[in-house]
Amino acid sequence: MTPCTVTTGFFTLGKCGVMAVAGCAACGRALCANHVTPGGLCPECAAARNQVGHPAAASAFRRRAHRQRTSQAYQDYGWYTSFDSYDRAPFDPGMGADQDYLDDGPGALVDS
Amino acid sequence: MSDGHRAAYVAFDRFPSAKGSAVHIRHMAAELFDRYGGGLLCVLGGGELPAYQREGGVEIVRFTGVVPNLLDRAEAFTRWVAEQLAPHRDTLELCHVRDPWSALPVTGRMVYEANGLPSIELPYAWPLVAPATLAKIRDLERDCLSRAAAVVVPSYVIEKAVIDRGAAPDRVHLIPNGADPVPAGLPRPPAAPGRYLIYVGALQAWQGVDVLLRAFARLADLTDLALVVCSSVSPNRARPLRRLAERLGVGDRVVWQYTLPHEEVAAWLANAELSIAPLTASPRNLDQGCSPIKVWESMAAGTPVVASDLPVTREVLGEHGRFVPPDRPAELARAIRVLLEYPEAAQELAARARPRVLAWSDVRHRLAAVYDQVELH
Repeated sequence: MTPCTVTTGFFTLGKCGVMAVAGCAACGRALCANHVTPGGLCPECAAARNQVGHPAAASAFRRRAHRQRTSQAYQDYGWYTSFDSYDRAPFDPGMGADQDYLDDGPGALVDS
Repeated sequence: MSDGHRAAYVAFDRFPSAKGSAVHIRHMAAELFDRYGGGLLCVLGGGELPAYQREGGVEIVRFTGVVPNLLDRAEAFTRWVAEQLAPHRDTLELCHVRDPWSALPVTGRMVYEANGLPSIELPYAWPLVAPATLAKIRDLERDCLSRAAAVVVPSYVIEKAVIDRGAAPDRVHLIPNGADPVPAGLPRPPAAPGRYLIYVGALQAWQGVDVLLRAFARLADLTDLALVVCSSVSPNRARPLRRLAERLGVGDRVVWQYTLPHEEVAAWLANAELSIAPLTASPRNLDQGCSPIKVWESMAAGTPVVASDLPVTREVLGEHGRFVPPDRPAELARAIRVLLEYPEAAQELAARARPRVLAWSDVRHRLAAVYDQVELH
């Protein structure tokens, strides 16, 4: 059996794996009956052509648009790791070696 | 947009201030803005500094949010910079940044001026920071340094550190700090004691001011000698060191000056017997590196320098300073005593060191050459 190779899932991504019934007309990947779009393309190729009628193609389209937008706009900080509460806690006021070191007057900032 | 800026200079530093970083920002930003006919300067505010200024073609905006947690503050600064840059995205040709927090929102052509690495410096002030957090900050630095069209560093040690963190070696340019020539015969400041040693700079642990105080305590027999500490930070932050001076019994022989305007420091330096740079052998100085403006300015003022024997101080002074093992108060005291005993030799040392100093105009020319290169690519 040839499994369908379309990526599915929300929290955890994986391959669809259902028996393939066709190949994508553009990239040739194996597709199951659920993932063949009306144009005979896989969801990714359909999304690239702005054919977003198929639900999987619609989400692929949104993902692609988001990546494109965030990589061009200045609001994109370009770094996909973020600090969590464990990272932040040691930087709270009072956690320094010496409070005097941090205190530069009311409302002031400690610079780099 | 029609009135968009062509250049931006971004720094997570307060500007202006009494710190050496502010001197650096002033000269580097001036070169950038002269070249592009003005620009946008995004820096930290606070105190009495206005949040917005327009000086000719230069627009100065200051981040004034009071965010107690440093990491939150850095991220808030990054978001704020993104908002400041957004209206100019169609016209910006070059962004000059000094730290990763400033570099993150820049998507266009960027010159990264690496004077320090937060992943090395932050644990000094926040000792509870986790290694995993520092690893994230290192990744952040790596990301920003590898994206930069050029990385400007003030010393070989930092050059090596940024290449280790992903900066392409052919894009790293060494531009040492500078100091403007000091005219001869500057009048003695009215508050200056008779004979004095001088320390100029900030008071972080890596500066080794505690080592200097311990060394000074060993010079108790030189009753006519005082120590002047020109602190670039407020009296609050000097409190632990003042307490140490009291405990060592030298409290009444140490003269503290706080946040002196930069133009007044030269007179204090020029009239001192010796200038001391007691940097410690810490990762900040050994792995990260620095180009201490206090040493450059002492050399420009013709004052003999006694410095810790570290690659960063050897790089600045060459052989024309008196070097002592770092973190050794007794050795430092002995070196000071020797130079005070032989003033002619000390003056000779200072005279040989003086021609090594780059004027800020030379520094600016070197930066202009980096901009030329960046624009060609």
